Amino acid sequence: MKSPQLAPFELEIAKLIVQALKLKADPSSIEPEAVLFGDGLGLDSIDALELSLAIAQTYGYQLKSSDPEIKTTFSSLRALARAIELHRTK
Amino acid sequence: MVDAPLIGCYRPDDVLAWGPDGPRSASEFLSEAVNLADILPDRPTVLNLLTSRYEFLVGFAAAMLRRQVTLLPQSRAPETLRRIAVDHKNCYCLTDRGEPVHDIPAVVLPAERGSSRGAWNIPQIPLQQHVAIAFTSGSTGHPTPNLKTWDALVSVARATARRLGLKAARVQGMVATVPHQHMFGLEASVMLPMQQGLTMHAGRPLFPEDIRVALTKSPERSLLVSTPLHLRTCLLAGVKLPPIGMILSATSPLTPDLAREAEQRFHAPVHEIFGFAEAGSVASRRTVTDGDWRMLEGVALVRNGVHGSVQAPYLPCPVPIPDRISVSGRATFRVLGRVEDQVNIAGHRASLGDLTRQLLEVEGVHDGVFILPDGKEGSSSRLMALVVAPGKTQEDIQHALRQRLNPVFLPRPLLLLPRLPRNETGKLPREALRQVMARWKNESSNDV
Repeated sequence: MKSPQLAPFELEIAKLIVQALKLKADPSSIEPEAVLFGDGLGLDSIDALELSLAIAQTYGYQLKSSDPEIKTTFSSLRALARAIELHRTK
Repeated sequence: MVDAPLIGCYRPDDVLAWGPDGPRSASEFLSEAVNLADILPDRPTVLNLLTSRYEFLVGFAAAMLRRQVTLLPQSRAPETLRRIAVDHKNCYCLTDRGEPVHDIPAVVLPAERGSSRGAWNIPQIPLQQHVAIAFTSGSTGHPTPNLKTWDALVSVARATARRLGLKAARVQGMVATVPHQHMFGLEASVMLPMQQGLTMHAGRPLFPEDIRVALTKSPERSLLVSTPLHLRTCLLAGVKLPPIGMILSATSPLTPDLAREAEQRFHAPVHEIFGFAEAGSVASRRTVTDGDWRMLEGVALVRNGVHGSVQAPYLPCPVPIPDRISVSGRATFRVLGRVEDQVNIAGHRASLGDLTRQLLEVEGVHDGVFILPDGKEGSSSRLMALVVAPGKTQEDIQHALRQRLNPVFLPRPLLLLPRLPRNETGKLPREALRQVMARWKNESSNDV
């Protein structure tokens, strides 16, 4: 499989996802624009919760469902990395 | 007593629920339920798929007023809904998404906003009326229906409120992170607040920050109905919750450490409910002080070795407890472990046999088995599946399973093998499965 091009911070978030959700995937092989939930990586709401915890602990960013952009935030690896970069407090 | 009021001790202007559309008074609720009941189709059963807890309650109440039975599917997976619709041919569904659910006729909500000027008249529902069916995954591969009477739901709500001492603790509001279409969710997050006159939050907060915001807007010292998974996440994420009256947890066992930390950090007692869809809530404990479960008032424990059953006036016959137990007193017991084949993933119970059967129904699957990896029965452990399906990819099979199963049961990982390690009698010895898993672990750690 050819490796997608990930920016350094995207790769860092890919590693966080793989680690937090105990996925058996190579972080560098996650497509940056592919959907994370549903049919893509196949994540569900329990994963969203686990992932939100890892993000809060590592970057101090508390995710909120009421955020208008929450759907976009979780839409892909790229969008998630962008949101974390924007809201991180550590 | 032959009937019981639809809602508990509210005054007409009391806020019964609040959500993104603002507050709803008890009289507005009654008028919405009565209006909806007027326009519901003339069918015996209804799949209530409404997302808002408040709208679900309006739909549930309207259905009861029309003597219709509300169906509570284990999940929204299309195949699950299709099977239920096959068994309940004349059902219709209540939905807020406008998406078609197979060939089931749909009523789309929200309905018209209710008026607060109608006559204040709380309907009475006959105790013997069948009001809901909770489905469990049966051994036949078909959802097994568990019929609930109004008596069963009202009795459990009253017994739970008394056990928790909601009145003495002056709890006036409720926020819940559990789905309301789940048996515990229906009992603790719909029946309990509506029978106790609490102000219900219509949403279902997921992230710790969502829970904090919902509690901040709720009446002070609300009841938080949640699960070990959400509580643990709130603790670890370091979120500061406003004063809570009480925490009620269920769906999977809470460890005493987690319960202690939650009590200290959130300054509220943490109680747990023990229950299962077949009988509903049957026992409770305050985790930090009680190792044993105490039966709810009116529920009797019948012992049979390490197995037990529960009996109650509202249950037609004794119902077996799905865990192995040891009885420690007249009405107290300890849970020893799960009955072989039963798993609990993130609060959802299923039998491995049933999941395997569903896997085998997937086109192209020649052989396969679902297993629970050893020693991983934690908060978010997942199942694993070994599959023989020549010419199919993991994605093909995951996609097909997603149509059939609650997503929490989707295998992670799903391993494709040329054949399963069956012995000469066709059985899968545990040791052989363990070896396959060990080999896979070695290989995958080399990969990453």
